[in-house]
Amino acid sequence: MHEALLTLGFGLVAAAILSLSALAFTLEYSVTNVANLSHGEILTVGAYCAYLVQQHGGGVILSGLAAAAGGGLLALAVHNGVVDRFVRRGIGGLPTFIATLGVSLVIQNVLVIIFGASNLGYAVPQGAPRTVGPFLWTDTEIQIMVSTVVITVLLYVIIVHTRFGKSLRAVSQNRSLARVSGINANRVAALTWLLAGLIGGYAGFILAESVGTFSPYSGFSFFLITLTAAVAGGLGRAVGTLAGGIIVGIALEFFGGYVSASYNLAFAFAILSLVILVRPRGLFVGGRRSVFE
Amino acid sequence: MIDYLVTVLTEGSIFAIMALGLNIVWGWSGDFDLAFYGYVALGAYMTLVLTVGPATNPTTYILGLTLPFPLAVALAVVSAMVLALIVGAIALRHLRGIYFSIVTLGAVYVLYVVTGQYVPLFNGYNGVSGLFDPMGDVLGLDYSSYSFFYLGLCIAVLIIVLLLTTRLNGSRFGLALRSLREDERAAAAFGRDIYVTKLKAYVLGAGLGGLGGALYAGYLTAFNPSAWSPVETIILYAAILVGGRGSTRGVVLGVAVMVMGLQEATRYLPEIANQPSFAPALRLIITGVVLVLFIRFRPQGILPERRFRDKDPAGKGDAAAVEAMVAGPKLDTGAA
Repeated sequence: MHEALLTLGFGLVAAAILSLSALAFTLEYSVTNVANLSHGEILTVGAYCAYLVQQHGGGVILSGLAAAAGGGLLALAVHNGVVDRFVRRGIGGLPTFIATLGVSLVIQNVLVIIFGASNLGYAVPQGAPRTVGPFLWTDTEIQIMVSTVVITVLLYVIIVHTRFGKSLRAVSQNRSLARVSGINANRVAALTWLLAGLIGGYAGFILAESVGTFSPYSGFSFFLITLTAAVAGGLGRAVGTLAGGIIVGIALEFFGGYVSASYNLAFAFAILSLVILVRPRGLFVGGRRSVFE
Repeated sequence: MIDYLVTVLTEGSIFAIMALGLNIVWGWSGDFDLAFYGYVALGAYMTLVLTVGPATNPTTYILGLTLPFPLAVALAVVSAMVLALIVGAIALRHLRGIYFSIVTLGAVYVLYVVTGQYVPLFNGYNGVSGLFDPMGDVLGLDYSSYSFFYLGLCIAVLIIVLLLTTRLNGSRFGLALRSLREDERAAAAFGRDIYVTKLKAYVLGAGLGGLGGALYAGYLTAFNPSAWSPVETIILYAAILVGGRGSTRGVVLGVAVMVMGLQEATRYLPEIANQPSFAPALRLIITGVVLVLFIRFRPQGILPERRFRDKDPAGKGDAAAVEAMVAGPKLDTGAA
């Protein structure tokens, strides 16, 4: 029982990182209807930005901010440079999806040329593990979870209580209708991608903190798990995605702890395939729609 | 110089065989299959474990037979098709568009992780090796003439595949496939069994992928997970897209440009210090950029697929319906 609780504790950390990444992905999807295959690279670039700041003597807070800024700029560039041009031309979801796969390939390999293909170590003083209730967490892990909760709450407030959030919801539900109502849909989409990039870049930073190493490919591998969480939660739905991230994160940690950590990715995709085949619109569809959609 | 040319042409013909297989799935049937390189890899692995003999300590892999090369290739193709039948039967049942792509991406990653981690299958990350000059001893070829023989073999197989796909392209089956790609509902209204037709195309494409993989294994003499990261599928897609999606000549041209041409153009780049991966990384960057630009500005490719022209002015406009009509009565048995 005690061991199970410990695993649950680690699972919560994994779930926090996964939820942020999946939330960012779902934001991107919600305003453009494009499954962004280069989402993982936002995390990777975030990790590299944090790494650079750390190498120059920056602290944890500065590294986190740099990661968010790097991720945000990248997401904005991908949106304005590629995705928006495709969406405006009316090029469908699948071709744009393929194009983002090309973008992902480009970013990964630019990073390979700049930093090399091998793993870089990202060492942060983790602090001694301390007991919090039944769980055992280091300071870094507590920082990861607290910041995730803060970011999620902030995001909720932005989406539900601000004018921008209202436009975001309008664009996500019906882009043309939003436009005839006087909303500048392209601008809202660009800002949403920027917001998603800020969150995604930060997720890359906490991923690097928690794993301890990263490479130009680590974002893409993590994206595959992110996809599982986002699809399980229902693409484009924020609350569902959050729940999907928590469930998948904890399930993966238990699978890794009790079966085999090597097959984690395979396990994630088994969940994903099952969800897509049995409940393609997500686990939580039906019933009353939440305002957070 | 001549050795070099032989190498380039051998690789090119092998990749052309794979690309022609993928073209059936994506070009004609319209499914963006990300699992494709998994079938190539399975074809390569199966050829190896069926020909190189029993595993010696510390390597471990299944089978370890010493079958003749042609028989091993045939069995490898069959195993790739069986795997495709399983994946396709699940993924094509209800899924289209990005959901299909995501599930196939999942399938290939599961395969990738399992071959890498589960050592008894194909010796994990070290892979299977030791297939030297298949059929060379039977035919009594020495080292220098062997590479010419293997090139000839690959070109011969490519020509057979080309004849097959060209014939298939104009057949009722080919027309039916493209009518599905254009409009599934219209095709169903003309009596096509969407699921069975698409599944046939998927398995056939994977078979050609397995064939390409088998020849690749004979050429490389070994195969391991670092030789087939799922990224390779994107290179095949870039080749098809540049050449002309759905067009057989286009696909061959695309492989010549995107696989052979790009490889050669970046071969003599100055080596940058401490950067052994510079040239391959640059190739992938160019591939990615080309992919994005072609989807945006020339999705039909350099040599576009020929469209059937509607000769009846009354029915102008609906190409899909016309194609379905040209294709004639439905091919497949089973419930409509």
